[in-house]
Amino acid sequence: MKRLTRRQTLWLGGSVVVVAGGGVGARLLLRKRFAPTPYDDLIALVEDRDGAAQIGETVLAEVEDFEPKTMAADLRTRIAGRPLATVIAEDASDRRIAEGGGWVLPETLALICALAAKASA
Amino acid sequence: MQADLAIIGGGPVGIAIALALAKTPLKIVLLESGGMSFDAKTQALYDGSKVGTPYVTLEASRLRYLGGSSNHWGGWCRPMDAIDFEERTWMPYSGWPITKKDVDRYFVKAHELCEAGTLYYDGAGKVTGDLGPRLALGPGGLTTRWFQFSRMHGSVLPTHFGERYAGDLKKQAKLTVYLQANVTRLGLGRAGSAISELDVATLDGKKFTVKPKAAVLATGAIESARLLLASNDVNTAGIGNNHDLVGRFFADHPCPRDNATLVLFDGKIAPYYLGNQVAHGAILRAGLFPSEDFRRSQAVMASSITVEGKIDLDDVGKAAVAVTAAALGVDASNAVAHSLGCGMEVTPDPDRRLTLDASRDALGMPKLKLHMRLADQDFAKYRLTLKELGRQLLESRAGMLKLNSRTRDEWFGSLDWGNHHMGTTRMSADPRKGVVNADLKVHDVANLYVAGSSVFPTYGAANPTINLLALALRLADHLKGAVK
Repeated sequence: MKRLTRRQTLWLGGSVVVVAGGGVGARLLLRKRFAPTPYDDLIALVEDRDGAAQIGETVLAEVEDFEPKTMAADLRTRIAGRPLATVIAEDASDRRIAEGGGWVLPETLALICALAAKASA
Repeated sequence: MQADLAIIGGGPVGIAIALALAKTPLKIVLLESGGMSFDAKTQALYDGSKVGTPYVTLEASRLRYLGGSSNHWGGWCRPMDAIDFEERTWMPYSGWPITKKDVDRYFVKAHELCEAGTLYYDGAGKVTGDLGPRLALGPGGLTTRWFQFSRMHGSVLPTHFGERYAGDLKKQAKLTVYLQANVTRLGLGRAGSAISELDVATLDGKKFTVKPKAAVLATGAIESARLLLASNDVNTAGIGNNHDLVGRFFADHPCPRDNATLVLFDGKIAPYYLGNQVAHGAILRAGLFPSEDFRRSQAVMASSITVEGKIDLDDVGKAAVAVTAAALGVDASNAVAHSLGCGMEVTPDPDRRLTLDASRDALGMPKLKLHMRLADQDFAKYRLTLKELGRQLLESRAGMLKLNSRTRDEWFGSLDWGNHHMGTTRMSADPRKGVVNADLKVHDVANLYVAGSSVFPTYGAANPTINLLALALRLADHLKGAVK
């Protein structure tokens, strides 16, 4: 097997750095950006913001007079820093259920999804 | 022709009563409109009209030959619950004059007649454990419960009562079965207080009269009402109809298909939810049923939910599953969605009724008109039950549920029927509220009884056959003492 020269090794290494760096940069450039909202902290609790917004649209269709800021304040009080999984399990056991597009959802999750929908509107 | 007892109708009820009384000293005639197999001209005697809510045609879901509608039933069996017999404040016109306990002991024999094996039902979990676990549901209103199935010997499923019991009927010395024998009139005596004769006619023009000491009308909820209403030569309102109740309260079980979507995050479900499974000699299938506590606390009616085939989710559905499972901390990469079916109980409605029509059938009997109605509230209550199931799935982190129908158009878009005719000669201790009393005797008529699901004052969500058979066997016990 032919050995690489020192110059060839430097060129190859440099190329890998450039390609990898370019990829990361492109991803950063192409990443979907959302305008900041006063309730990003809540939306960040769900993994798939686009999916949440999709469901949120159907939740909003069921809710009258949805006021995001007030809702966000209520949700922060309800969540009180606990993990989302704990809060929505509590929703289910306490019969706090909402509906979106026919899907039966824990109320807290449904309302966060509604905030995500508002944010992407 | 003289007889101690005339049984009108050779379906499961007529056959069950005839066989139950065959060893008594009673001379019994069983009068069946049809023969041993389907005949279009006989079937056409069921023809009638309907108005109102869309419904199947009157001749569609019954069969008029020995064995009756058991010749095409599905074999689903499940006894009603104790609550089904109770008067419930949230259900108008509810309350049977008997309790479940009055009927319980007849289910073993009814099961035997249906060849449905040992009665397991709510104990079936003990014999199906090897087939997989029950659905994990959080504490709440719905639980897994069981159907059992009739199974006729050989390759025929389920039991067809005519074919299965024709030989047994023939063997009975004091029992005579007349085929092609259509009862066209229940003849009241002059005083109007007892049946004195039955007019019988065949489609080829023969006529004869039976003079029984007592008669049992067992022709189904539609024909039984017709015979009572049409036998109006002595009492112009018909027989048993002094309070204008005969033919009212007609009911069936609406079966909205694909009424909800069940998603299981791990994609696993025991096979007994999806279809019949044989365990310990019984054929079993699981369903999801609202508990008595839930029915009481939420004022909902009975319903039986079945899990059906797999379905694909749309994009919103996929997002709902992914987001919810992630939020619950559950892996949903193997999630599977299933369609749900159900049988729903309806609210008793006096205006959902059968009346006589001006047109006549081939035997000269007035045809019937069905005035069909279905309240939005019945769908709304079932929807509450589904929502509770969705909540329980979330609580257990096992899955989630989508409700597929909300508007009347959506419900009717997928609506099928159980073809379980009920209610038209309802049972009540009070003659002002029912056509027959607790012994199934027509109020104010000394020797006429009605058997079958027409006597159900409320309907539950259980398939009626095993229940009407249990009631028929109870009536047979009563007749042993009542007819001398």
